[in-house]
Amino acid sequence: MKTQARWLKPENLFRLFGIGLFIYLFMGFMILPNWNTLTQIFSTKTADGRADPFAVIRFFFAGNMGTYVLNSLKLGVGLILTVNVVGISIVLLTEYFDIKGAKILRMGYMTTLIYSGVALVTGYLFLYDNNGILTTALHNAYPQVDKNWFSGFNAVMFTMTFATTSNHMLFLRNAIRNIDFNTVEAARNLGAKPMKVLWKVVFPTLIPTIFSLTVMTFITGLCAMSAPTLLGYDSINPEIVRLAGSSIADEAFPQARAALLSIILALFTIVLLTGLSAYERKGHYLSVSKTKAKLVKQKIHNPLANVLAHIYAYVLFVIYMTPVVMIIIFSFQTYGAIRMKTLDVSNWTLLNFFGQADYSYLTSRGTYRVREGAISGLFANADTLGGIRTSFILSAIAAALACVIVVAAVNYIFKHKKTGVWLEYALLFPWLLPTILICYSYRTYFNSNDVFYVGNANLYYMENVRLLIIIAYTVVKLPFSLRMIKAAYYAIDDELEDAARNLGARGLTTMMKIKLPIILPSVLAVFALNFNSLFTEYDMGATFASSYGTTYAMVMQSMTREEGLYGFNVNASGRRAASTVFVMIVSGLVLYLVYGVGARDLGERLALKEKRRLRRQKVLGKLGIKKKTDRVSA
Amino acid sequence: MIRLQDITVKFGDFTALDQINVQVKEGEFFTFLGPSGCGKTTTLRVIAGFIQPVSGRVYVRGEDITPVPIEERNIGIVFQSYALFPTMTVRDNIAFGLKIKKMKAGEIKEKVEEIARKVDLSEEQLGKAVSQLSGGQQQRVAIARALVTEPAIICMDEPLSNLDAKLRVQLRNELKHMQQNFGITTIYVTHDQEEALTLSDRIAVFNKGIIEQVGTPNEVYNHSKTEFVCNFIGDINPLTPQMVAFINQGGQHLDPGMNHYVRLERVAINPEEEGGEPLVAGRIASREYYGMYIKYTVETAQQTIRSIVRNDGLRIFETGQEVQLLIKPGDVMSYAPGEGGTP
Repeated sequence: MKTQARWLKPENLFRLFGIGLFIYLFMGFMILPNWNTLTQIFSTKTADGRADPFAVIRFFFAGNMGTYVLNSLKLGVGLILTVNVVGISIVLLTEYFDIKGAKILRMGYMTTLIYSGVALVTGYLFLYDNNGILTTALHNAYPQVDKNWFSGFNAVMFTMTFATTSNHMLFLRNAIRNIDFNTVEAARNLGAKPMKVLWKVVFPTLIPTIFSLTVMTFITGLCAMSAPTLLGYDSINPEIVRLAGSSIADEAFPQARAALLSIILALFTIVLLTGLSAYERKGHYLSVSKTKAKLVKQKIHNPLANVLAHIYAYVLFVIYMTPVVMIIIFSFQTYGAIRMKTLDVSNWTLLNFFGQADYSYLTSRGTYRVREGAISGLFANADTLGGIRTSFILSAIAAALACVIVVAAVNYIFKHKKTGVWLEYALLFPWLLPTILICYSYRTYFNSNDVFYVGNANLYYMENVRLLIIIAYTVVKLPFSLRMIKAAYYAIDDELEDAARNLGARGLTTMMKIKLPIILPSVLAVFALNFNSLFTEYDMGATFASSYGTTYAMVMQSMTREEGLYGFNVNASGRRAASTVFVMIVSGLVLYLVYGVGARDLGERLALKEKRRLRRQKVLGKLGIKKKTDRVSA
Repeated sequence: MIRLQDITVKFGDFTALDQINVQVKEGEFFTFLGPSGCGKTTTLRVIAGFIQPVSGRVYVRGEDITPVPIEERNIGIVFQSYALFPTMTVRDNIAFGLKIKKMKAGEIKEKVEEIARKVDLSEEQLGKAVSQLSGGQQQRVAIARALVTEPAIICMDEPLSNLDAKLRVQLRNELKHMQQNFGITTIYVTHDQEEALTLSDRIAVFNKGIIEQVGTPNEVYNHSKTEFVCNFIGDINPLTPQMVAFINQGGQHLDPGMNHYVRLERVAINPEEEGGEPLVAGRIASREYYGMYIKYTVETAQQTIRSIVRNDGLRIFETGQEVQLLIKPGDVMSYAPGEGGTP
């Protein structure tokens, strides 16, 4: 009887409910759909209905499926080289060497933080595709230049090289800033020349970070989606999406082939991440210094090397900045100027953002027709606005859900060290699976009325697809959210919890009033970063391609299609430029709120409040207005 | 007031506290002193309710509080890190416990301001974030927060360990002054013997999960019950058998089978007054100048011995100088080998 009474306690019932819910979610949305994909490979049938478990594997070796894998591997390996060369050099140029204008250079190199994915690729297309601004200008100057130079492998490599250095700017920059300058001085004091110091003292401390970045870059290349799709390169992910939308009537067992490609991608990811974590477990070079000295930038004493370094830094800066600047400028140009790719400095407009205009065009009969209001701005175009609204709502819900789940989970993990480990592994599980595999699995598994645990509802049907997208977004963001929020939890001193309990607070009060406010800046940061990446997310949106869940990235992708012909897709280039500017503003704002405002502690906030109060008092004083009670605050 | 009866705490196979018995009187400043890992903080956490003993009881004013949950024990704690809530202002930190008790806003305000006055926190400081305060001010906030709920007992877990030496001495005095003003029973945990000796009414010296001695500062320092206490409290010279034999030449009877110790300040160099005891001839090997006092290392035929002498500015011995040492047998503390904890 006693045991029964203990289990009936509200907190135990709550815990039981939590465990049950977690098992339901983990099995239902992580294990079963992906298991279904795996079994699809071995469940192909011959024309006469016999099971042929190895048909797709035979097809893989006999057909051209291997090309997609090889192409992805080629891209991954190529990017390791180019991204590391560019990434390491931009970090060294802005953080280690004394290069004039380093602050400006850094801002340029960091533009990829607010401008990435499909927005960046469409931006590059705007400049470099066969009638892009720069291609047109080059072709006009040098007619021998191939107008189609920006397509296929080279274009993907070029775009992704500059698009994926964000991690270098975040993590390698941090690593280099953490170097103890005394070690550099000691090496110099012992007779090492600057380059020797860089190679023998600085580089070895950066190797763990570079290794992690290399693995992440390789996985990024392997799983590339938006660049190969938009720039025309046959790699794994676009092929999976294509096959997922295909049917047996068109080609041989497309779903099983998509499943096989997804599993191959998953195997690569698992092997790489296992290798990475084994390497990380070996430990890193830890600074043994008790009094770290701040890194002092190193002058390049050789005049020729110094000039070359400056030239290299500014060439990279131009490559990073040109698309950004051009797109901002052209987002304020008229439809005609954008179509002709010529800057019309006498004619600026906000039409690409707001409002509509009539569009007249020449028909095949040689007559002009006018389509009223066909030229529309970003916020006046129903499709674009719909995409923004869908992405905004789905991303916000998923980003918030991921945070809520992870906060509750981390609280459990820290309280229950033994069972918490399993929960942690479960939440990190999606990291082992490529995003495309998860989405593909959802699309095929839930596209049925037979999944009992979702009430036999077809989640890939009409509006239900939005729910499916939210679930996929949430699941994919769990590992990142867990890593970040768990790190924040370590900052909570155990004694704070003890103090709260000692002062009479129970578990929930301690969680809500003490722990949550401490980790809230980190939770908000994770929410914002999740939202930022989901808002312009392309891979998942493309896999779930459905008119009921057309995301903003899908709309942006559609803007790269031919425009203007018979009034179709009019002003897509203008909206594309405006969209990119809009994405940059949203991302920039989010990052500012997270790292600028959100990172302030209570002391800083109170100091700012006091500063504002004094300023207000000064202004009121000048105006001769005196407040009756001017409360003295901190 | 507080009585710990046969308290045993185990962490897995490790016995952190082994049959602890101790009594603390009402209004007393009682210190748990000992090296790291000796069980003093564990005992404090048992009293506060954070740790449940595997056996034994905790009594407060005769009432068994062993099964009482932490939040209902009415024991205030000042943590080593102060554990001030960083997302709250000083005022909110102090008011936290009162809000949990669902007191009225007006009453909370009154109580917070009253306790702030008592611990010398200004109105302006109440509006600040805790991160904007100095270490000493943070300590006062922690004390105010612990006291505002009017606990029966206040426990302090090494509250001075995070401060620099000068501030530590200053706050030590303030702490004692505050405790006397409030008259509240205080349990204080420290590994710093100087802190324990200056603050406490009584001290319990812990070692490896047991209490070696309970006594006043004078008792534990001058009449250490065990070899461990004698070694742990203050600096000491262990005497070699040769030195013991030499002292016994004066007709004394220090048992050669025991371990003998003499404190540094009890070794007189070139004493002005002699009582007939034999003087040990030696030579100053080194000198450490501390300002208020000087520490000498003297080499004798029997052993190297250290002595500490008040700096009167008149008698300063030079390195290499020949001197005579006096060790009075009455100042020697003797312990049977294996008695109490090992030093």
